[in-house]
Amino acid sequence: MTAGTAPSTAYHDWPYTRGGAVDRADVGVLVQSAVDGDGAAWKALVEGLSPLVWSVVRAHRLSDADAHEVYQTVWFRFAQHLGRIREPQKAGSWLASTARHECLKVLKSLRRLTPTDDPQVLDRISEDRTPEQSFLDSEEAAAETERIRRVWQEFEELGDRCRQLLRVLMASPPPSYQEVSAALGIAVGSIGPLRQRCLRRLRARLDARGAL
Amino acid sequence: MSDMDDLNDLNDLNDLNGGFFAGEGIGDEVPDEEPDAGFDDGLLDDLRQAAGILDPVPTALRQLAVEAYALHDLDARLAELTFDSLVDAIPVRGATDPPRMLTFHSGDVTIDVEVTSQGLMGQVLPPQPAGIEVLSGPRAGATLVADDLGRFSSDVTPAGPFALRLRAGGEVVVTEWLRA
Repeated sequence: MTAGTAPSTAYHDWPYTRGGAVDRADVGVLVQSAVDGDGAAWKALVEGLSPLVWSVVRAHRLSDADAHEVYQTVWFRFAQHLGRIREPQKAGSWLASTARHECLKVLKSLRRLTPTDDPQVLDRISEDRTPEQSFLDSEEAAAETERIRRVWQEFEELGDRCRQLLRVLMASPPPSYQEVSAALGIAVGSIGPLRQRCLRRLRARLDARGAL
Repeated sequence: MSDMDDLNDLNDLNDLNGGFFAGEGIGDEVPDEEPDAGFDDGLLDDLRQAAGILDPVPTALRQLAVEAYALHDLDARLAELTFDSLVDAIPVRGATDPPRMLTFHSGDVTIDVEVTSQGLMGQVLPPQPAGIEVLSGPRAGATLVADDLGRFSSDVTPAGPFALRLRAGGEVVVTEWLRA
């Protein structure tokens, strides 16, 4: 549809989906190159996998400040563990799992204090310009913007579990099911059916509002 | 909520019908006869696009992750987190703002750390003098000195992720990155 939107094909047949900044099949090679001192390989890993880390953090509904700190902690620790990760080709799962555990720690510490407000993502367009945003600056894109906003709004209204699963699945490039499993602690085999149900549920909400 | 409730929450995630969708009424639906991937992939693409617009990775964070490559240090020994009071300790009833107790291990070196709102203190074991750098990111951090008994302290509470980099007896040990 626009630049930066990876095609979400081949979920079921490929261990790693294709398209986007990094072909997930190359992750192991990139990790090894980064271990050997190749800064460009590290940068490619960040470009390809930071949306996944961010999605996992967002899926857990942390405050902005906590989300930023968890994201940093995950990447700092990944850099630290770089040469020690047993299965470099599964670095995405390692990052997703680490992000999940750090999020759960934050939620646990918050329960000991006072709960914070949920982030109101919809009310706050980021000041950072992404390719998608630049596209949407054009006037003819206004209708498209409105449609995308409605999809997001209905997504935000979904139940916690569906919202959490879809927030991780919508990372770009699309995460593998192994990565989703690591991000949410659910079995790989259950992700496909859950995904279908959650999307069907979202579709029903949109249809009910005549939004699409 | 107790720790046991947390465990139950996690277990629920693995319980397809009883947990993941409890309360959302989805389990009542007719199951898929045949998954139709084409039907909803477009919707997931819309969501992916929406996330790119409404909730992208903040540019500054992405840049920090790129710079984090400088933290890659194969010469240092990694001291892994083996105890975290947030996870491993039973909370004391009525204690608001309890100290965060952390223990890191690397071979025969143990580093005990206590983080409070007043600052950070700790001890290197076996007791030995050490130079300690408090890292808060890819840039240089504040330095502390551990005395002959291995004790060190700082009146600054780490804000956000931190790690300790110790130089002792010709060796460099770095603690796992952690959010204080």
